[in-house]
Amino acid sequence: MKDRISQLMDGELDERAAAEQIAACGRGGEALETWRTYHLISDAMRDTRVLSAGFSASVVARLEAEPTVLAPQRRRAESRTRFALSAAASFAAVGLVGWLAFAPQPGNAPAQIAEVQKVNIQETAPVLVPPPSAANDYLLAHQGFSPRVSFQGMAPYVRTVSAKGRETRK
Amino acid sequence: MLGRALGLSALLCAGLAQAQPQSAEALTWLRKIHDATRKLSYSGTFVYRDGSRSETSRITRLVDATGSIEKVEVMDGVPREIIRTRDTVRCYLPDARVVKVERQADHRGAERGFPALLPERISALARHYDISLGEVERVAGLDCQIVKLSPKDELRYGHMLYADMKTGMLLKAETLDAKGEVIEQFTFTEFRVGAVPRERLKPRHATQAWRVEESGATPANLAAAGWGLSSELPGFRKVTELRRRVGEAGSVGQVVYSDGLAAVSVFIEPLEGRRDPVRTGLAGVGAIHIYTREVARHMVTVVGEAPAASVQRIANAVEFRRPQQ
Repeated sequence: MKDRISQLMDGELDERAAAEQIAACGRGGEALETWRTYHLISDAMRDTRVLSAGFSASVVARLEAEPTVLAPQRRRAESRTRFALSAAASFAAVGLVGWLAFAPQPGNAPAQIAEVQKVNIQETAPVLVPPPSAANDYLLAHQGFSPRVSFQGMAPYVRTVSAKGRETRK
Repeated sequence: MLGRALGLSALLCAGLAQAQPQSAEALTWLRKIHDATRKLSYSGTFVYRDGSRSETSRITRLVDATGSIEKVEVMDGVPREIIRTRDTVRCYLPDARVVKVERQADHRGAERGFPALLPERISALARHYDISLGEVERVAGLDCQIVKLSPKDELRYGHMLYADMKTGMLLKAETLDAKGEVIEQFTFTEFRVGAVPRERLKPRHATQAWRVEESGATPANLAAAGWGLSSELPGFRKVTELRRRVGEAGSVGQVVYSDGLAAVSVFIEPLEGRRDPVRTGLAGVGAIHIYTREVARHMVTVVGEAPAASVQRIANAVEFRRPQQ
């Protein structure tokens, strides 16, 4: 089964076989786990943006929406060998990566999770908008819960209202 | 590729092995800063800078047998005063003749009032920040110990804290982005320890005729109402949930997430009755980012002193699932 998923990722299955594997992933369980893990490794190998929180969900969703994405012809020549090697060599790392990326992260999660997260915080570029008209009110409401007040007393509260000054002066 | 694969494994293993202890001395300094913030009576002047702009404020704090009271008065631009007593913050806006009142909901059990950082939570900061001591530098004529908090990932900002060697009071604080550039700064230009007459902590204006905007915060269970995050931001835990008013808006849900130093609030309010359409997108002021989007006929506004990507990620994870009856 793992071989089939590897082939699926490398665009080496025909349409019917691919559809079967996609359906298997869609049912969850081991197929889905394998799919997630392999993608994680292959992405990590390519230094692409990986491990984002909604990663596996969004891949599966896109997979259903655009199955052609799975069969990029140009990768066919060397990808399978490359992937097999990568997967074998990093076998030990697989479990680790899988655990780091998918384990629930409770408050006392070990610090090293942070090491892995470095690569993945990019969101799609946001649209820049002016602050909402109630921005100061939100800031004031927020400020009381910021632990910074414990280190700094009331000083951060000037942020709240300094934006107000800006607005009024416009 | 094989080499790179092995390299990756080695890197990951190194990451695991790197659970190095933080400098105990640096943690002691953080506690000292924290204690000074709670226990000292003082007055001083500080300058706040967020990139291009700067503003000067007076700050006065008095701790005595009747409790503590603290007042900040912004000296530049539009006048305003903020006064905090044990569980209430009042923000006075003389031009608009408005007092905004933030009363903390009694949702913390024994630990009433404003969130205090307990000693064990200070140690817990080491999960997300490398905490170390820097040089000694002078601020406002006083020798200060620098305490550096370097984030372990790009989900939060770094901090340089300059603490008065003698009292532990934080006399300068810089917030740094991933490139190490200072994006926000508080610096005392003058600082004096000692009690001042209580008179000086009263609001400057007679406010009887001013409009009062009460936050009316009450504890709430927004999770049970169907609101949550499809995935949490690593290290940021939910610390509180409440219902309140924000400015002139009616009932607004607020959920706060924090990593122990930075906090991000998610505000949720129904779209009904709003005249303007929701403008999806990001706004930023200094270290603060605000991301707005619409979810299930509600306007979701996420506000936090965290990098844009963190705020945006929390905003994009907000979801509503109709609760099962």
